[in-house]
Amino acid sequence: MISKEQVEKIAKLVKIDLTEAEKTKFAKMFSETLEYVEILKELETENIEETYQVNGLTNVFQTPENKATLPSSEVVKNAANVKKGLFVTEGVFDRE
Amino acid sequence: MASKSKADLNTLTLAEVIAGLKAGDFKSVDVTAACLDQISSCDPEIKAFVTITAEQALSEAKLADDLIAKHGPAIFEKKPLLGVPYACKDNYNTKDVPTTAASNILVGYMPPYESTVTKKLHDAGAVLLGKTNMDAFAHGSSTETSDFFKTKNPWDLTRVPGGSSGGSAAAVSADMCIFAMGSETAGSIRGPAAWCGISGLKPTYGRVSRYGVIAMASSTDSPGPLTKNIADAAYVLTILAGKDPLDATSSPREVPNYTDFKKVLKGLKIGKPASYFMEDLEPAVKQAVEAAAVTLKDLGAEIIEIDLLSPKYSIAVYTILQRSEVSSNLARFDGIRYGHPRFAFGEEARKRMMLGAYTLSSGYYDAYYSKAQKVRTLIVDDFAKAFKLVDIIIGPTMPCTALKLGESDNSPMFGELMDVLTEPGAIAGIPAISIPVGVSKDNNMPVGMQILGPQFSEKLIIDVANEFQTSTKFHEARPKVK
Repeated sequence: MISKEQVEKIAKLVKIDLTEAEKTKFAKMFSETLEYVEILKELETENIEETYQVNGLTNVFQTPENKATLPSSEVVKNAANVKKGLFVTEGVFDRE
Repeated sequence: MASKSKADLNTLTLAEVIAGLKAGDFKSVDVTAACLDQISSCDPEIKAFVTITAEQALSEAKLADDLIAKHGPAIFEKKPLLGVPYACKDNYNTKDVPTTAASNILVGYMPPYESTVTKKLHDAGAVLLGKTNMDAFAHGSSTETSDFFKTKNPWDLTRVPGGSSGGSAAAVSADMCIFAMGSETAGSIRGPAAWCGISGLKPTYGRVSRYGVIAMASSTDSPGPLTKNIADAAYVLTILAGKDPLDATSSPREVPNYTDFKKVLKGLKIGKPASYFMEDLEPAVKQAVEAAAVTLKDLGAEIIEIDLLSPKYSIAVYTILQRSEVSSNLARFDGIRYGHPRFAFGEEARKRMMLGAYTLSSGYYDAYYSKAQKVRTLIVDDFAKAFKLVDIIIGPTMPCTALKLGESDNSPMFGELMDVLTEPGAIAGIPAISIPVGVSKDNNMPVGMQILGPQFSEKLIIDVANEFQTSTKFHEARPKVK
């Protein structure tokens, strides 16, 4: 069902690299998993709305009491590359 | 508890530790040292811990003892867990204590902030013994997908403890701590509790703040305790529950005193769903849970056979929803702000992220993600309908007792298939408990029964479990480890 090419496309979407062997293995696994979830077709959901969250809460906003902040020195302390207290990232314009 | 030698203080329950500390029978450093000794002697084999914070624990314990000496037992009103040593699943951000989610992605990561749960436990005076092993990023039901090492079940070292909170469950089961924190997306508290013969509580979604818990599936993740009995879990929940301004999905609902235990079984209507007692249940599991149902009946409850949607649909719903949300949640691990680059993800994480991205992608969203969310509505409604007929629902927690290490290898959906019986409750966001109801004669492994209630009915299901545990002794059984 799922081809190696589709696996390659998804891998690009989630930004991970796969070996050729992994692509084949994942293609097989995904096909099996997607076959399993086909059982959902047995249930009629024509006029049913989706449940995205079960707690029914809406419009929960920040309050003025939320004053928690972190000093930037703490924020960057786990980063591999820091320059002038800022994160160093990949160039945006050079990406494929 | 003057009868317990110092060396055995780690075998006490949470309630016993607090009573003993209040009465001056022993000190927190004694209990903490006993737990650390147990960790030293058992953990090299069991491997429940990723990080052990021995020095910090003993210094926190000393501070606790100083406070008790200065203020007397009254201090427990301000700090209800003062001096009680606990273990914490490694997906809780603990400031300046390594936090890894058992993944190579986060090796070396030191959180700059504290999760709400661990902050509340710290403020209540609890003593952190260390961070426990888990399936990496909580992706699993056996703790075998930890990127570091596999945790063994204290009842049988050739078997898994369950997952993803396997380290925490093993630590409680082997008396390496007084209680532990776990988390559940679907089955990750209840499953290990059942397979390790202890009590586990998954609160209603939103009852306990998820702030600072490394996210798996944001619409079902629920922090919860793993304990030696349900009364201890009630004690912990009372401290942890409540609205958190840092978690927009946390409920503003009032928090009752879960430790105000009441007898509730007389006249209680308990639903027993036929679809949860399917043919392929391990005979020992069926037997133990059926026997527990009889006990509940003897204690005054009415057992009513009910129909619930087959849990097999929940497997499909959960697989799609969880993997979709995982693909989104794991996108933040960019190796730029923290953590290692994405090649460090283990196979299970990659498998799940990719399947999730597929089911969310254009052209497939309606067939998979949207369809799954619609079936989710059917599951929510199914429970609502059932709870009009009965007060609570019982069933086996897991379809079998703990599997042997390696049995799950190469299965495309092992975790989701194992959690068949816990997924429906998780998807509906309802609270659930797993308690031990016996030990299999075939393999000497524990069996767990789950108790489900409507949203925010933690008080009721806790009272049910507590009444059961005051009339039975299954929860007192411990594996021989030392």
